[in-house]
Amino acid sequence: MANLSLKHIYKVYPNGVKAVNDFNMEIADKEFIVFVGPSGCGKSTTLRMIAGLEDITAGELSIGDLVVNDMEPKDRDIAMVFQNYALYPHMTVYENIAFGLRLRRIPRDEAHPNGKFTKEEINSRVLEAAEILGITEYLGRKPKEMSGGQRQRVSLGRAIVREPKVMLLDEPLSNLDAKLRTQMRAEISKLHAKLNTTFIYVTHDQIEAMTMGTRIVVMKNGFVQQIDTPKNLYNYPGNKFVAGFIGTPQMNFFEGTLKKEGNSVRIRFDHSEAEITVPYSYFYKTRPDYLDGEKKVVIGLRAENFSIDPETLKTADARIPFKVSHKEELGNETLVYGDINMEGDGYVESTTRIIIKCREDVDLVSGDVAEAALDLDRIHLFDKETEVSILPRVPEYNYLDCEVEGGKLNFLGQTVELPPAIACEDGAGELLIPSDAIYAGGPIKAKVVGTEKAGELELCNLELGGRRLFAVAPGEGVEAGVGIDMKKIAIRRGEQEIVHPMPLKMRFEGKMTKRKETEEVEVKGKKKNKKVIKFYLSIEGVEFPAPAFITSKLIAALTAKRVFETALSFECTPYGLVPGETGIPATVERILDYGAEKFAVCRVGEQEVYVKAEEELSGEIFLTPDFNTIGVIQTDMDIRIV
Amino acid sequence: MAKKFRSKKAVERTTNGVIYVILVVISVIWLIPFVFLVLQSLRGEPGATTNYFFPKQWTFDNYIRLFKNEGVSSSTGEVVSTGSYNFLNWYGRTLLISVCVTVIQTVIVLVTSYALSRLRFKMRKPLMNLMLILGMFPGFMSMTAMYFLLQLLGLTQNMSIVGLILVYVGSSCMGYYICKGFFDTIPKSLDEAARIDGASRHTVFFKIILPLSKPIIIYTILTAFMAPWGEYMFASLIANGDPSYWNVAVGLRDMIQREQLTAYSDSFQRFCAAAVVVSLPITILFFLLQRYYVEGVTGGSVKG
Repeated sequence: MANLSLKHIYKVYPNGVKAVNDFNMEIADKEFIVFVGPSGCGKSTTLRMIAGLEDITAGELSIGDLVVNDMEPKDRDIAMVFQNYALYPHMTVYENIAFGLRLRRIPRDEAHPNGKFTKEEINSRVLEAAEILGITEYLGRKPKEMSGGQRQRVSLGRAIVREPKVMLLDEPLSNLDAKLRTQMRAEISKLHAKLNTTFIYVTHDQIEAMTMGTRIVVMKNGFVQQIDTPKNLYNYPGNKFVAGFIGTPQMNFFEGTLKKEGNSVRIRFDHSEAEITVPYSYFYKTRPDYLDGEKKVVIGLRAENFSIDPETLKTADARIPFKVSHKEELGNETLVYGDINMEGDGYVESTTRIIIKCREDVDLVSGDVAEAALDLDRIHLFDKETEVSILPRVPEYNYLDCEVEGGKLNFLGQTVELPPAIACEDGAGELLIPSDAIYAGGPIKAKVVGTEKAGELELCNLELGGRRLFAVAPGEGVEAGVGIDMKKIAIRRGEQEIVHPMPLKMRFEGKMTKRKETEEVEVKGKKKNKKVIKFYLSIEGVEFPAPAFITSKLIAALTAKRVFETALSFECTPYGLVPGETGIPATVERILDYGAEKFAVCRVGEQEVYVKAEEELSGEIFLTPDFNTIGVIQTDMDIRIV
Repeated sequence: MAKKFRSKKAVERTTNGVIYVILVVISVIWLIPFVFLVLQSLRGEPGATTNYFFPKQWTFDNYIRLFKNEGVSSSTGEVVSTGSYNFLNWYGRTLLISVCVTVIQTVIVLVTSYALSRLRFKMRKPLMNLMLILGMFPGFMSMTAMYFLLQLLGLTQNMSIVGLILVYVGSSCMGYYICKGFFDTIPKSLDEAARIDGASRHTVFFKIILPLSKPIIIYTILTAFMAPWGEYMFASLIANGDPSYWNVAVGLRDMIQREQLTAYSDSFQRFCAAAVVVSLPITILFFLLQRYYVEGVTGGSVKG
């Protein structure tokens, strides 16, 4: 029973193939986590890295409080169930289950003088596991005399008998037939509830993922696409891939454009005559630049979010005509396939095909033209190129029209004094306020319309001057007034950004070096000179003694041979650079005064660097990075090591 | 017009019939020399050759004389001692060498194959290819060099047992190929499951892999035994002409070459008796382990 922490985990094979990229996740005790994705997405590799069967190229993996990167599989206190069961064919079921217990070393005491479990203990544990899984009567059989389902039970028995901290299951049901799979699915869920231990389950089957996981990790091409609960993945997919992967039948995707016209939005579908006008309220979270009627978007709507029920059609905000191509009657429901392009063919997947899930009997036949009502509350929008959701659950920015006049910023009927750091010419523009830049306790009075929970974040919906504003975790007392963190805002005028947000991350180039140094040590009361190897981080040509935790992580990730030849990038925040007597030489060029905070803009070589200025800074200064907050990245492969 | 069909069963019967006839003919051709050998070893009439197949007089005397180190004089027809020709000595030496080589070579082949099948290290593929190519050169190419080396080490003549064991075992890891192919067919997940269960590499090898590899172990044992059992070249070279250091192959070769094959001589019959005795261990081994042997050869060849 333990929590797991995966920090910036990478797997790069010797031929340069990146199987897993920057995997970050905190897994709480007793969670049932499912890794899901198409084959080759890196899900099994990640599981095998957790098991210790694959080396971790970079990153940190902890089970409980222990970093286990370099630990043997047997010492990690995990158990694993394999796709092909991996039962020892020459042993009976009993011996298979007992094998791990017989090998296990435990602290020596009176009951266990040789540091191993006694025969009675092994026997009772095996019988208990067999009882749980209902395989007591097969204990004397060899694996080949058993069916697939029974074998998988034995394999589960071998895992649970060890009472591991973490259970790892690698596609355990893929070799079973459909009926057995459903049955085993329920049994594994039951087992999880009974054992009360952390489960990590790998599958390519999204139904398994949805039915079993407390949280699901969707992966593709080595990248984590989204980590969320099954319900949230279904309702709030972060990108088109997740939207299409989760749910059967697959979500309908149409291409088209959105155009804001007053208080409504006109949706135009490509390759079709279809066009609908819907209230703007459905698109509050959409980035305004997608509502220009030109930028291509992908509109996603699930089969059950269409309706052909006459009553629903009467009251619906939006309806779309389509031509029926065929039906799939599944007994309890009917899937109607059609095309919103009257010339199209609803048989093949296309950007105009529509699948509608109906509960009732459908009397439509092939070739009929009908109308479907859209449940716009469930609409999903994605950028056509990047496939990222543009109607996210938590919008990154609030986009507003604004005007700068005499050092004051006017937006939504409010006037805010611009701090000295922001100097720009008068004129109209577009104001971008990040949703995490709005905090409680400021002078702006906004009406709180509601709050919603998005995972662990709390999203506050505010209304100001007839517009909706979104604030992430603004803190207590939003009703009294909110403020805006001015260093995070941006103002655009046309294509040009005239006010930039202050960069919160800066990168320095460097590498790790070592030197032999003579150190005075005391040996038996005598002082002696001893040669020791010391490690340094050379950042922008200046050497800093390398803290032990950074040294060990770098050597572990890059090996002692390559670590000194590898180019590294060091990532700092303005708060992580401390001015002092020694360090990286920098010249203060100007001071940015944001009112509450001041920052010095310094020049280091060609680079502009921002430093939090507690006191007045000017002229030549020296900067020392705070190694507790620094990030170290291998430059060529872009792998985060620390 | 209706097409004429031949019954599928009739076709099968005819094909099988033809195949069996061919197989029987081949078997007879294969068996005749061995049957001839056995018959000759039981022949009571003197003389090197006869113009009939079955002996007229049946006797075990050839075997008795072989083990008593006696022979019928080629000139007088009397039973005399064969002197330094000691069949039991040759037989014992060969058996000892073969057993030692079998044990050592089996261990070496198994561990090499397991390492090449399971471990991933730099130069693994080049090493495998190199071994394969080296194995293609006949062993006697290095014979002269090997002889001088053994002579330097004092491992010829009276120490020839050790010398021969070294020579035979020396290149044994090159026979990894079939064995590795067999290990490759054992799923890697078994190793992984065992490692997670707490087994070290050698526990995995001894407790999981070896029990599953009976066929290939038997195959390795058989091939390892057969090679030194019938080996001639190195054995004759290292013995350096002294009959007390020969093995059976060298001894038997000499038996029919040196002793004159006259009307009185029984050396050909004794040679045949010796050949039968020499073939016994291998025949017994084969009969006992036949089932595994076939499994081993085909099992390994699935994935080469």
